[in-house]
Amino acid sequence: MDTTSLITEAKARFNHNSAKAYLKDKYDSKLIVADQGGLWKADTQIISFLSAMDDNFIVMIDTFNNPVQVNRDNLLVLLKETYNKVMLEWYKEWKELESKR
Amino acid sequence: MRGALLFAFNSPKYNYYEMAVATAKRINHFLDLPVTLVTDSESLPVKQSYQFDNIVMAPADKTNKRDWGAWYNKGRYRAYQFSPYDETILLDTDYMVNSDKLLKTFELSTDFCCHDTTSFLMHPGAAQERLSVYSFNTLWATVVMFKKTKRAEQIFNSLEMVQNNFEHYASIHGFISATFRNDYGLTLATRIVNGHTTPIEDVIPWNLLHVGKNTSVYRNNDDEYNTEYTVMFDNWQRGKIRKEYINIKDMDFHVMNKENFMELISE
Repeated sequence: MDTTSLITEAKARFNHNSAKAYLKDKYDSKLIVADQGGLWKADTQIISFLSAMDDNFIVMIDTFNNPVQVNRDNLLVLLKETYNKVMLEWYKEWKELESKR
Repeated sequence: MRGALLFAFNSPKYNYYEMAVATAKRINHFLDLPVTLVTDSESLPVKQSYQFDNIVMAPADKTNKRDWGAWYNKGRYRAYQFSPYDETILLDTDYMVNSDKLLKTFELSTDFCCHDTTSFLMHPGAAQERLSVYSFNTLWATVVMFKKTKRAEQIFNSLEMVQNNFEHYASIHGFISATFRNDYGLTLATRIVNGHTTPIEDVIPWNLLHVGKNTSVYRNNDDEYNTEYTVMFDNWQRGKIRKEYINIKDMDFHVMNKENFMELISE
């Protein structure tokens, strides 16, 4: 039996909360990037901070709480790329999920 | 050189060798890594349909059992000794690889890491497991990345020591010792080696995704390397079951229900 028939026959309801949690688990992990000897999460906070600074080299605390000296521009480019790619995928899958409502 | 290591000792109830073959194929496909299998002569079939990178023959320690029967999970500490790779991903055979996410563990600035947090599909916000109410949060032996270093070797040596003295550690930490669990052994071993702490670097920085009780996973198609699934949950309410589901794709998960895992890998 295919899964569509299975859902219909079982009169199963789509669980939005569980689907949201699954998406968060999935895409949170994709935001994590190792670069320049540190581990980073490409979120709005770190991207804003990197954008606000103007020195070429700065020391930042990475996900493992280690201070790491980084080339700001390079890290910013990488994190912005990662953020945009992952969030777009997240948004797309979220919209698919919303259509089941 | 990088590779993956699987342990598979068949029990009277479950064919772990078959699970290992299915998992190895997915490791090859999604992670592009060679796979070494640790098994025994009773589990290894005469005719093998899949060629592992290496097969290490080792006797199974058959002294463990669970509520559902025999469970030959002891001896995982031999992973360090048996791995032919400089950098190894050690996986449970019932871990469904659906992406290349595990490759990221090699990029972490550590020589040993495993999960310390879990999520349950269909149970968002479920509490993290602890050794006991008086003890630590559990680390998970389902996925372990280690490199050939002195510290990683010490962790596996400590795991052997904890396995051999499991009752002693159970009485200290207040958990039941009747069934040896690698998760508990690893939790204690890493803490012993790290001065009774768990360094943040030893933790994989995302959650281990479990498929738990009352939850079944179904393939959305029959492709060998399918990554899309429907997850169905029996939600008991006022004595009745209400079926709930979600769809997932490209996401690794750990199937606790072995029958369900066997269904997923069957052709």
